[in-house]
Formats: sequence, structure tokens, C-alpha cells
Amino acid sequence: MAQVLVVDDSSTVRNEVGDFLKQNGLDVAFAVDGRDGLDQLNADPSIKLILCDVNMPNMDGLTMAEKVRGEQNNQAVNIIMLTTENSPVMKERGKAAGIKGWIVKPFNGPAVIGSVKKLLGM
Amino acid sequence: MEDTQPVSKVLVLDESPACLRRIKAFCEANKLVALRVQEENIMSVLKSNVDLGGIFISENLSGKASAGVEIGHDIHHIRPELPLFLRRDAGAGRDELSAEEKKSFRAAYTIDTIDDLRKSIDDCIFNMMYPNALLRGINEMTIKSLQSQFKDLDLHVETPYIVRDRLIFGEIFTLIPIESPWCRGYMSLQTEEFSLQNLVIGNKTHIAPDEGDDFRNLNSILGETTNLIWGAFKNRYTNMEGKAAYSSQVPIIINHLHRYISFGSEQPQLCYKCTLTDPNARDSSPMVIYQRFAFNLSWSPEDFRENDVSVDNLVAVGDLELF
Repeated sequence: MAQVLVVDDSSTVRNEVGDFLKQNGLDVAFAVDGRDGLDQLNADPSIKLILCDVNMPNMDGLTMAEKVRGEQNNQAVNIIMLTTENSPVMKERGKAAGIKGWIVKPFNGPAVIGSVKKLLGM
Repeated sequence: MEDTQPVSKVLVLDESPACLRRIKAFCEANKLVALRVQEENIMSVLKSNVDLGGIFISENLSGKASAGVEIGHDIHHIRPELPLFLRRDAGAGRDELSAEEKKSFRAAYTIDTIDDLRKSIDDCIFNMMYPNALLRGINEMTIKSLQSQFKDLDLHVETPYIVRDRLIFGEIFTLIPIESPWCRGYMSLQTEEFSLQNLVIGNKTHIAPDEGDDFRNLNSILGETTNLIWGAFKNRYTNMEGKAAYSSQVPIIINHLHRYISFGSEQPQLCYKCTLTDPNARDSSPMVIYQRFAFNLSWSPEDFRENDVSVDNLVAVGDLELF
């Protein structure tokens, strides 16, 4: 049972983000790419927020977001992209997919934890 | 604008004190960092210096009239990408070299005509102009990326330098394409596993200290650092609007036996040497990351530009932009 799903192909990022969220009292699950992320989300209905990279092997983060909203018709989970990408075109695609926000790496936990908790209703 | 133009390291194999002084002065005036080497050490020094721009060799060594020429042939055989400059006692021209000698030596000079080498140096080492803003930008984004991945460490980035060597020397090596309307090529990072592992064990990274024995975690640190620099480069310099869909590619060839990489181009590479040191453990060996750019597919510095960023839409890196 996790509140937040961190999807990133980099174990460094998974550790960094996961440790920070756990230190702030959140339960965290991990996935290594978009396909794994979809599987984890299907397996754990308690997930309320996804922090997701864009550039990943097998399935990228934007495609995963589109599938969450489309094929899975999951409107309840909030999705935030955590990525090096900062192009308006990609952000527009993310918005169209119904993502809630965008963070340009590197991850700055203290700067975003308030908003993350708000999205979780805390 | 402050001049941040790169330097290049050259080995100097010469025994004449007077000539060494002239060569050193020439190097300093031409952005070359001269590293003196003894004849008996040249091959071992070559093995440990894999980020060179060229080599200056005296024709006469140890009282033997053509010992330098013979060494030059040997060096050219194993490192043909390194330009060799031969100092002769008489006859300054490359035209006076035999056909066989011309294969090995890029240019010949006498100490009185050393300034004439400038053109050869510019042609084979400094033949790519790098905008100062680009060099500074790479420096800035590299520092920010490293600081995000390594905690509480002193970081020093040397003046960028040009290398003609094509050797892979790190144990961990990353490679990622760099694409923009004005440049196309690759960026690589290389480092040693042991020093990176020490930083993990010392809790200086985002990997738990007890997970430092898994090399995959070490790979991940350099991989994410590469990703961050690549993303910053893209966001700062890449605007692919209107660019044709077709982009040429060439095979990248890696020969593991010879620790050699070819990007299919004769152009030299731009290199940054980044040294990370634990200020509380000065005795421990620092971690050195070599960052290289090979703009092998396209290079048009005259079209260099940074992306316009609307202040209204500016969101700080690391902040959450809510939609």
C-alpha cells in the first residue's frame, strides 16, 4: 500500500526522491519505466500520486500518463512529471494527458513537498 | 566577453634547455599546456596521458641523429590521431621530410622558426571555434548537475581543453547524443569505479552506502549525471522547430581491446576535467570525471544561440509548475 509511485529508470533518482518522501511521512512505491508504472498502479489502488520521469526505456512517461487517463480511465490519481525536459511542446502534451504538474530536474524536495502533500489531501 | 577558449595539452620530448625554454614560451603564447617527458618514459607517459592534443619531438635525442624520428614513427603507429611536430637542427620545412617521415609528422620546424607552427597548431588542434557563451554554459550546467548528485564535496572544473586522443580510459563510460540546429554529436562522461564507490560508501551520493558494492548503482549515478547535463543542454540550446526530420548518422566504433572509440570524424574533442574531493577526507583520492563533446555530425558555431526564455513563464529548476 503506497500513496506515491515514483517512476524513473534511474535508481539514483528513485533513491533520492523515495528517501525524501519517506522522510516526510509518505509511503512510496517504485517503478523502473512506464510499463512497470502501469503494472504497479493496477496492482495498488491506494496510489494517489505519481511522480514520473519522461525519458525512460520501454515506455516513456508521457505515454504512460496518456494510458493512465485513456486506456485505464483512471481520473483519480494525480500525475506530476519529474524530468530534465522543459519544452513547451512536451508540457502541452502532458497537459492534454491530464497531468497535474511539471518539475524540471534536479529534484528539490523542500521546494515541492508542500504541493505534493496538498495533492494528497494532507 | 571574458575569453574562456580551451587549451590543449602537448607532450614535449626535447633535451636542449635553450630549446625547451623557447618551446615553453611558444606553448604559453598559443594556449598549449606543455608537459615535458623523458625519452625513456615516453611510451609509459603516453599510456597515462590519454587526453592529449599533440607531441613536440626533437629530431636528435641522446646524441643520436635520428632517434626522435624513430620514436615519432613508433608513436604514430600506436596513436596516429596525435599530431607530431618535429624539431630539426636545420631545415624547417615539412617538405624536407622524406615521404615516410611525412606520414608520421604533421610539421617540422627549427627553433628559430617555431612561430611558423602556429598555422599547423590551429589547423589540427584549434580548428573548431567554440563560442565563449557555450563553454561557460557547459561549465555551469555541469557544475549544477554534479552538485545535485554529489553531496558536501569540493568541486573543481579545469579550463576546457582540446583532445585528439580517442581512447576510452574510464571504467564507467556514458554516451548520449547531443542535438541542436547548430551542433550534432555526442557527450560522454568517464570515471573510475573505485573512487565513485568510495563516495557512495562515504554517503556522498543518493545511493545508500551499503548499496555501493553493486556496480549497477554506480552506473546509475553517472547515468543520471549525464541525463541532467544532457537535459540542461537541450533546454538551454536546442530549439528544433522547423528542423528537417532527416538527420544523418554514422556508426560509433568502440574497440574494447584497444580501449578506443571512433565517432567517424577527424575533428578533435572538447573536454572538461571535473574533480570532486571530500573536504573532510583530504587523504582520500579524489574522483575525476572526464566530460567530452564530439561534435562529429554537425558543427556550425556561427548559428549558436541560447533559447529565449519568457520571464513570465520562467519556473526555477526543481520547482513544481502546477497546471
